[in-house]
Amino acid sequence: MNVSQIVEALQQNFPDETIEVRDVPMRDTFVELAADDLHAAVTLLMERFDIYHLSTITGEDTGDAIVLFYHFWDGQGLTLCTLLSREAPHIPTLTDLIPGADFYEREVHEMLGVMFDGHTDLRPLVLPDDWNSPPPLRKEEEEKEDEQ
Amino acid sequence: MLQKVIGWARRKSPWILHFNSGGCNACDIEILDLLTPRYDVERLGILKEASPRHADILLVTGPVTRQTRDRLVRIYDQIPAPKWVVAVGSCGCSGGIFYDGHNILGGIDQVLPVDIYIPGCPPRPEAIIDGLARLLEEIE
Amino acid sequence: MSNDRITIPIGPQHPALKEPLSFMLTVEGEQVVDSALRLGYVHRGLERICQRRSYVQNVHVVERVCGICSHVHSSTYCQAVETLLELEVPPRGLYLRALLCELERIHSHVLWLGVLAEILGFTTIFMYTWQDREIVLDIMEELSGGRVAHAANIVGGVSIDVDEDQIEDIQERLDNLEPQLARFVDLVHNERSFQARTRGVGLLPTGVARGHCAVGPTARGSGIDVDVRRDTPYGIYDQLSFSVITVDDGDVWARAAVRAEETMESLDLCRQLLKGMPKGSIKTRAPRRVAAGEVVSRSEAPRGEVVYYVRSDGSEQPARVKIRTPTLPALSTLPIQLQGVNTADIPVVLAGVDLCIACADR
Repeated sequence: MNVSQIVEALQQNFPDETIEVRDVPMRDTFVELAADDLHAAVTLLMERFDIYHLSTITGEDTGDAIVLFYHFWDGQGLTLCTLLSREAPHIPTLTDLIPGADFYEREVHEMLGVMFDGHTDLRPLVLPDDWNSPPPLRKEEEEKEDEQ
Repeated sequence: MLQKVIGWARRKSPWILHFNSGGCNACDIEILDLLTPRYDVERLGILKEASPRHADILLVTGPVTRQTRDRLVRIYDQIPAPKWVVAVGSCGCSGGIFYDGHNILGGIDQVLPVDIYIPGCPPRPEAIIDGLARLLEEIE
Repeated sequence: MSNDRITIPIGPQHPALKEPLSFMLTVEGEQVVDSALRLGYVHRGLERICQRRSYVQNVHVVERVCGICSHVHSSTYCQAVETLLELEVPPRGLYLRALLCELERIHSHVLWLGVLAEILGFTTIFMYTWQDREIVLDIMEELSGGRVAHAANIVGGVSIDVDEDQIEDIQERLDNLEPQLARFVDLVHNERSFQARTRGVGLLPTGVARGHCAVGPTARGSGIDVDVRRDTPYGIYDQLSFSVITVDDGDVWARAAVRAEETMESLDLCRQLLKGMPKGSIKTRAPRRVAAGEVVSRSEAPRGEVVYYVRSDGSEQPARVKIRTPTLPALSTLPIQLQGVNTADIPVVLAGVDLCIACADR
């Protein structure tokens, strides 16, 4: 995997956006993208660079926004990050490109309440059937739990 | 007389049903280990059964999660009386390291009456045999 | 009548399953046409628990993600925290860490082969495999004091050490183990009844395995040449020589062959590690606070790639720990493997995945 080529290709593809790149230890590179560009960026990764292995999707509520990390791997890591609003987070699904993204998206959905547009089946993956509180990894939920 | 015979049979051949209600597999592989040549509990008449209808003893590992609670109670109800419950492992006894998880209700005794607690993370197979032997002493 | 579709619920407690998992199987006569999984019976919320504990306490929390491959979880986590701290772990510590990882791989694969054999009705082999697994458990117990949970890792190295006598003793035990493992490899390749039950069952073509991001023996059994130990070397794996085993058949037999042969590779790796074990200390002191930063740590567990994403905000507790276990991608391929399978073969396909629901649910 040639990271600089990939970044260049992404920049060419989305000329209006500023793409931020930072190196992360243990051979990983984080590339920050707008949420609307993500689907096209993954298509590009798959078609031009044959990167198909999505290790997982990490979701995190930082308090200001919800960050999603799409960890790709092909001998070394390439992580696409994107920021979503906390009020109504939504992003296009990747399941049409990578069927294996199904479980990861369902998990992020139930843990943080992110909607994946186009995902047909966002049933709970690991949370119980009778779960009726808000998603457990949201900041306000975490604070409420810590008080107890 | 008949009661005596039944009691004797129960003591000599307790059949166990194993259920993982939220554990990490460590206790479960140690329980499975009991059946294999080194520990071989079958020589004590202990058989691992697959159906609750056949079992005398319910061996539960792990803390109780919200999703398994109803299933655990249903399995317990399906076991014909008299029946005994053994909590295996630290998290089965008290919730253990997972006690404050958002999906954890606590130890097995939050849901079922427990007869014997076998602590350890995971308990050694010897400890599980010892726990079962003590339970058998109780069964009269 | 026999062509009508019927939906059967299976689990969470079921004779064919060792762990709580439930299924909705749609069958047409004797054939499975569709299946849907329900996970979450052993969900403990570990990622959330990790945010509440300190970095040191978390070593023991992540060890309880999975009871079978406990050591590799804590290794991957420690590796992440050590990278954030920019700590240099002494080589002897890394050797001991890798030694336990490889022993654990043998233990996990042999255990799996036993479970598969039992499901095939081949109880003799179940007994043989689990008896020989005790040799590995004995070595691990002598090294760390624990048969299953080792608590050997600490941030900055390991907490266990070996002396010359112990190394010799372990080598001797490995010599005793080798012919047994060779017998299991031979069994997988030459035993007719074993092949009759596993060949052509649970098919997972290479393309589909790629699309589902398969890892570990599931991927290698479908002809994908991938191994984190070789592709992104961590610890001291860049100094060891081993081959990555791939089989192209993509069925339960292929996965069995991959795992059986991997035990031989791991045995050889254990020998290399014992032989090349450098002198020196086993750990360095680690501070309690971790400077702000983030890291993605990967390693190869018995079931495949484990990923830990750890982000620090400069305090004593991590801000986020994301754990991706190898069972999750393996489970996402399960509905495909079950497609068109005869109902009698369902347990074989389930066993072939090497399920670890505790891993998948966390």
